[in-house]
Amino acid sequence: MRIVIAEDDALLREGLALLLRAEGLDVVATTDNPVTFLAAVDKHTPDVAIVDVRMPPTHTDEGIQAAVEARRRQPGIAVLVLSAYVEQAFATELFTQGSGKLGYMLKERVGRIEEFLDVLHRVVGGGTAIDPEVVAQLLTRTRPDSRLERLSPRERDVLALMAEGLGNAAIAEKLFVTDGAVHKHIRSIFSKLELSPDDQTDRRVAAVLHYLRDEAKR
Amino acid sequence: MSVAEAVRRRLRIGIEAVERVATGWYTSFLAGLVCWPMLVAVVLPRAAPFALGRLRAVADVERRRLGLRSGMPPQTSLRAVTGDPATGREVRWLLLHATVGFFIGMFGLTIAVDIVRDGLFPLYWRFVPAADATPAIGWPLIRTQNGAWLVGLMGVGYLFATLYLVPLMVRLQELPGRRLLRPGPGEDMAMRIAELTATRAAALDAHAVELRRIERALHDGTQNRLVAVSVLLGAARRAVQRDPSTADDILARAQDASELALAELRAVVRSILPPVLTDRSLSDAIASLAATCPVPVTVDADLPGRCAASVEATAYFVAAEALTNVAKHSGASRASVVVTRQADTLRLTVTDDGRGGADADGGTGLTGIRRRAEAHDGTVTMTSPVGGPTTVEVILPCGL
Repeated sequence: MRIVIAEDDALLREGLALLLRAEGLDVVATTDNPVTFLAAVDKHTPDVAIVDVRMPPTHTDEGIQAAVEARRRQPGIAVLVLSAYVEQAFATELFTQGSGKLGYMLKERVGRIEEFLDVLHRVVGGGTAIDPEVVAQLLTRTRPDSRLERLSPRERDVLALMAEGLGNAAIAEKLFVTDGAVHKHIRSIFSKLELSPDDQTDRRVAAVLHYLRDEAKR
Repeated sequence: MSVAEAVRRRLRIGIEAVERVATGWYTSFLAGLVCWPMLVAVVLPRAAPFALGRLRAVADVERRRLGLRSGMPPQTSLRAVTGDPATGREVRWLLLHATVGFFIGMFGLTIAVDIVRDGLFPLYWRFVPAADATPAIGWPLIRTQNGAWLVGLMGVGYLFATLYLVPLMVRLQELPGRRLLRPGPGEDMAMRIAELTATRAAALDAHAVELRRIERALHDGTQNRLVAVSVLLGAARRAVQRDPSTADDILARAQDASELALAELRAVVRSILPPVLTDRSLSDAIASLAATCPVPVTVDADLPGRCAASVEATAYFVAAEALTNVAKHSGASRASVVVTRQADTLRLTVTDDGRGGADADGGTGLTGIRRRAEAHDGTVTMTSPVGGPTTVEVILPCGL
């Protein structure tokens, strides 16, 4: 797996590179600003880019812009955006162009190496990874009279994991239930929320995110 | 004062008086013009908005000339203007200035002009038609060169009148304006409130900028260090499983990162409110600032008692900012910080012997100083001639 890192904090950048190289992954370039990052993406055509949201010059959302631009230039590239804090607006901007091969995570999750690698592989494999914090924000912002009220507690758990981008098997594993049970829950959720069911993970995530966003806005 | 100096000073006063009497004459002329629409407005109320607009405009010209604060927001509705007590005073000024002011102006200018007219009379009187050969006052008719010399002497008299009398005339001419166009106590309060509103907004603004800076320092600094610690610890755990001999190196890095995080956290806390300021005193805090400045700094800060915490913090950060500027830009070999307290004001002066030429409006450092000081109703004065020395003086009201 060929990786380009864009992170302006030197210590963190080197730490990430060290970690990934120790796992036998190929970090082809580390950059500290959007310009050199995009140049590195053009030059190395990596499988995945790991991008910090806040980078020079203004330290606001340069990373998001750079990620969107990288995907525009190379549609096949997977992007994992890391952020110091979750901001639903960032996620919205990032996921407007589809959610496949895309991830948005809190920086602090990187320390849980297994989970981080799992997310990385999922994103490179075409899937989606959304930080549980973002999903929690979306779920709590919905109004009490929404259709979400119709869901059972277990169905809400499944919905949250689904929104994070997990597939059926992973959800089943997390909730200690069988694949079949998860399948049943998902069908029930989709019918209660009046969404058309879809088994393909990233399209399913897009539908769920879209639904939650609309609910939050209302 | 030497004689030459006294003469020069008196000449300056005279020239300035002539200038003022001339500009006063000009505004009295404008005032006279405005009398006409005012007169029309008395008969024809429909003309009132225009007339009152002109009145305020000419009054504002005079206010600017006299260096008075305008104080009067532009009025839009007729009712607001006529209900304004200032308008009545403006009308009185208009009548006085258009008449008395006009004559004083003319008289003063004539005196100044007659210095030349009569002073040079001995040189040109022969070329004037015999029937017109009189001094400026028009009498008597001059027939001899000696008589012409006497007229020249009158020119000298006008010179003395210009130097000593015209300044008094200027005062008289400007008296109605200074009395009647000054903002009244109520309007002065309105100005003060507007000013307070602006400084309050600046204070909140400075506060928001400060919070943003702290948020940045925590997110981009401390938090990143801690994430790095976490990443390195994660990597170390994986290394222990794979090859324990490599783990130690990674753990050492993790420790370095955690120490960095602590150092940064300390710096952030210090930048919010330096502990020495809360624990000891402003004098000690500034002394410790001076000790870390690369340029040698003498500190004279003997303060009885303490001021409000926010005032002390402002003084401290202003001193810090100023010393940073000294170290970065001035090229100074030494600097001094003097802090004194007089009654209810705290005065902080930072001086350096550097190259000077600092721009009071440019430079974020000075803007920062100004904003911090103004948020506390303070004032900042900087003098920085090219070649130095540069002095920044900040005065902060600190209550009692």
